[in-house]
Amino acid sequence: MGAFEFEGRSVSFEPGDTLAAALYRHGVRTFSRSLKYHRRRGLYCGTGDCPNCLMTVDGQPAVRTCTTASEDGMRVERSGGWPSAERDLLRVTDSLHRVMPVGFYYKTFIKPRFAWPLAERVIRRATGLGALPDTTAATRKVVRHEHVETLVIGGGIAGLAAAERAAADGSVLVCDEGRLGRGIAPGASLDRVRTLVDAVGGLDAVTVLEEHTALGIYEGLHVPVAADRELVHVHPARIVVATGATESHGIFPGNDLPGVMLGRAAAGLAGVHAVRPGERAVVVAHTDEGLEHLRTLLEAGVRVVAAALPEALADRLPGGDIGEVVLDGDVHEARGGGSLRSVVLRRGDRAKRFDCDLLVLSLGLSPRDGLARMVLPSEPVTVVGDAAAAAEPGPCDRDGVVCLCEDVSTHDLAQAWEEGFRNAEILKRYTTTTMGPCQGAMCGAALSCFAASRSPQVLEEHGTPRTTARPPAPRTTARPPARPTTLETLAAGVHEIVDKRTSLHEVHVEAGARLDRSGGWLRPFAYGDWREEYRAVRERVSPMDVGTLGKFTIAGPDANELVERLFPCRTADLGRGRTRYVLVLDEAGYVMDDGLLARVGDDEWYLTTTSGGAGRTDARLRQFADRLELDAHVLDRTAQWGAINVAGPHARDLIAGLTDDPIDADALPYPGFADVSVAGVPCRAIRTGFVGELAFELHHPRRRGPDLWASILDAGRAWDALPHGLDALELLRLEKGHVYLGQDTMPDDTPAKLGMSWAVDMSKPWFVGKRALERMQALPVSRRLVGLEFAGGPDRVAELRGEPLVLGDAVVGRITSAERSPTLGASIGLGWVRAADGAFPDRFETVPGATASVVPTPFYDADGGRMRG
Amino acid sequence: MAELRIEEPSVVAVLASSEVCERLEASGNGTLLRVAPREILIVGGADPTVEGATLAEDVSDAWSSLVLEGPDAPDAFARLSELELPAEGWVQGDVAHAAAKVIVEPGRITILVPAMLAAHVEERIRTDAAEVLAR
Repeated sequence: MGAFEFEGRSVSFEPGDTLAAALYRHGVRTFSRSLKYHRRRGLYCGTGDCPNCLMTVDGQPAVRTCTTASEDGMRVERSGGWPSAERDLLRVTDSLHRVMPVGFYYKTFIKPRFAWPLAERVIRRATGLGALPDTTAATRKVVRHEHVETLVIGGGIAGLAAAERAAADGSVLVCDEGRLGRGIAPGASLDRVRTLVDAVGGLDAVTVLEEHTALGIYEGLHVPVAADRELVHVHPARIVVATGATESHGIFPGNDLPGVMLGRAAAGLAGVHAVRPGERAVVVAHTDEGLEHLRTLLEAGVRVVAAALPEALADRLPGGDIGEVVLDGDVHEARGGGSLRSVVLRRGDRAKRFDCDLLVLSLGLSPRDGLARMVLPSEPVTVVGDAAAAAEPGPCDRDGVVCLCEDVSTHDLAQAWEEGFRNAEILKRYTTTTMGPCQGAMCGAALSCFAASRSPQVLEEHGTPRTTARPPAPRTTARPPARPTTLETLAAGVHEIVDKRTSLHEVHVEAGARLDRSGGWLRPFAYGDWREEYRAVRERVSPMDVGTLGKFTIAGPDANELVERLFPCRTADLGRGRTRYVLVLDEAGYVMDDGLLARVGDDEWYLTTTSGGAGRTDARLRQFADRLELDAHVLDRTAQWGAINVAGPHARDLIAGLTDDPIDADALPYPGFADVSVAGVPCRAIRTGFVGELAFELHHPRRRGPDLWASILDAGRAWDALPHGLDALELLRLEKGHVYLGQDTMPDDTPAKLGMSWAVDMSKPWFVGKRALERMQALPVSRRLVGLEFAGGPDRVAELRGEPLVLGDAVVGRITSAERSPTLGASIGLGWVRAADGAFPDRFETVPGATASVVPTPFYDADGGRMRG
Repeated sequence: MAELRIEEPSVVAVLASSEVCERLEASGNGTLLRVAPREILIVGGADPTVEGATLAEDVSDAWSSLVLEGPDAPDAFARLSELELPAEGWVQGDVAHAAAKVIVEPGRITILVPAMLAAHVEERIRTDAAEVLAR
């Protein structure tokens, strides 16, 4: 025997007790308060299907206490109710039902405008299933994948029997949200389950996962199965749905009073947990199972004051002391205040009241078919057992609570119907019936029945709604998750951040670099003072790790045609050893990426792209090679080759000291490349101009990167070389007026908008995006990227990035890059501006005290003399 | 029981016509992964000379090998990927968000990933399969 804490007091429990059973034994009858009207709710289904027993357990709200095993030290409390669930002053809302009709929050609090935010705050505080903990430490669920031949969802008689049969065809996984056999009262059903458990336990092919809940069935097939500590993604070849059925929810006045209970809940308390569910009971049994429950209650010593059953079952009525048997009788009404006090049974026109504290309902079965209804007919999914049974809803037009989760009554449905919501799907959306934690397990069939009973056919035939003459009632769409699921489960295994690392990562870490994410990579932003790194590039020499660049070889008989068609510039005239800046356009003529194209051989090219755009460009290359049926191959060398950019006035001097190969301006001119050996490392040395100084990008085998980096830094001591990171690069490239794709550009930027029409040769017969550019040529350019010089403004000029460019009262542009240039002694930037009255303005206001003027780019070394070296 | 080892693989990339690829496959030399109709990776010390290929080259630098060994290796792998492993052979697909080639041999699973993602995948294995590695 152990004990848990329930709202400040200790509650002992017996071995095998669920939380609900232990609480019931200790006299708790109000298990929760209803969502909207704060009506008392007692234990109802006993099988984890309804919302009545949801409580907060160890800080987690909405835990089903009727299926959760008691554990020592648990902290359990009811949610809802103020100041407490037992004495809830908010029950006043129940008497306001008429002024708070269904959908009242769609119709009220509209004016004045501040009314709704206030009302929303009040409504949110007054409703709900409990508060999310704000101090719970994040945990990490294990995520794993299982591939099996057959997944059986449900470990009852039908599921276990199906598993036993399926074992002959391969691996079988059985998942059940409870423990096999737990909660079933002693009897033939439990005996059968135990026999099957023994049978499948002896089969190597069968694995059983207890307390694992299937959340949904996705195409594939794919079934996520959640448990306390793990999320299992099951990938089965076929599925058997054996989720069974719950007993049907009865709809009549007073049907939600504590003391009204489905048969399985009452029999479970009496037969499994030895807890007497009531002292004076009325039992309504429309099924054989109901008669079994009646027998269990009689054996447990419950005084049955009346039993109502169909005449057809009369000969199977168990022996025992039953006060009165009402053949073909049914529940007319349940009465009581805070709990059940009496039940009125009716047979034909005759009604009789019975004083009691327990009403046990076994009215038929309602299949747990939420998962089965997620499946497409073509998928290999079989539904067996009670889950495949047709729903047997009772009369669904009588007054009473239809949806226990969302507090929706028949009256509410009727009102919504009158307002024009006249089929099950829109009734569901408007009233939120079936949208609560039970996901329609209790009310789904009743909702469909209600809608069908008012269908045009029925009304035409009978003039009034008829539940007994209704046509088939299709259920509303079922969607995952089938069961209430924690956010932790939904987040399990979701890893959004994938950091790529260059071969120099450890070197940067050791050097104390400040690393951060850029274009999917972890990159050094600065090693110390970035301004000093900037000066090293402009005045001396400085290496930078650019191994993140996309790097591709394009080769094959049709390689020339592929590059000619993919890039908008002319490529055929590019000689061996020469390079050219290229744009990558999409079919709409928009700039996707840019890079440098180098001619390696007659039919071999080498392409570098931006770090973040490599994946897209790789895909474009392969896609167009296939689409154009070209015999061209693409080898992605991004992972294979590292790259170090050595830049600065002494870059050539530094590299010359590490190589015997000629790298002078004749042997390695700008723009061009050569394959050389630097510090014993084979390198493709590419002359680049991104930072505006003499620069050599050394592309090399990745594993040799750390050696090459060390050699460069060692040789660079003669010039006080410092490595530079992205912070310095930001200013270096800005001074040259070079754009950062993504930062300075927008998704619909054409070359013209970026001022890069020079990178497009419209005389080429065809290239990707040409048709779109031709059409756009006829239109005026409405927006363009310009160089800016700022006057005034913040000390940290970079803060201007993102600020608007204002002309009069209108925002006509935005600043995309901004920085203070110590070399130029000016605050410079880039930004896009819109044309006003057919012309582009050239002077703007921006943040208070600052103005911006359009100036030509590049800002630095306009004739490129330094870059050419 | 499962152990994780990091290895530097030897990989040759062959870009060639489908006919050349088929011929190469038929030769059955080494662990040969036909990753695309016109692209083959040969793993494990192959000669990077292939007659008729557009390009055949040692690309070992591009790849890292994360090797799971031991009877629980499949269990550890199931923490990382939804790929269904054959009893023996290879598959390709997503492993811990890396485009991977996975070679399955008795008691050994070799996960080939692009070198720049090796640290990420290793970290994922050590975190997500920690319980299996600790058995």
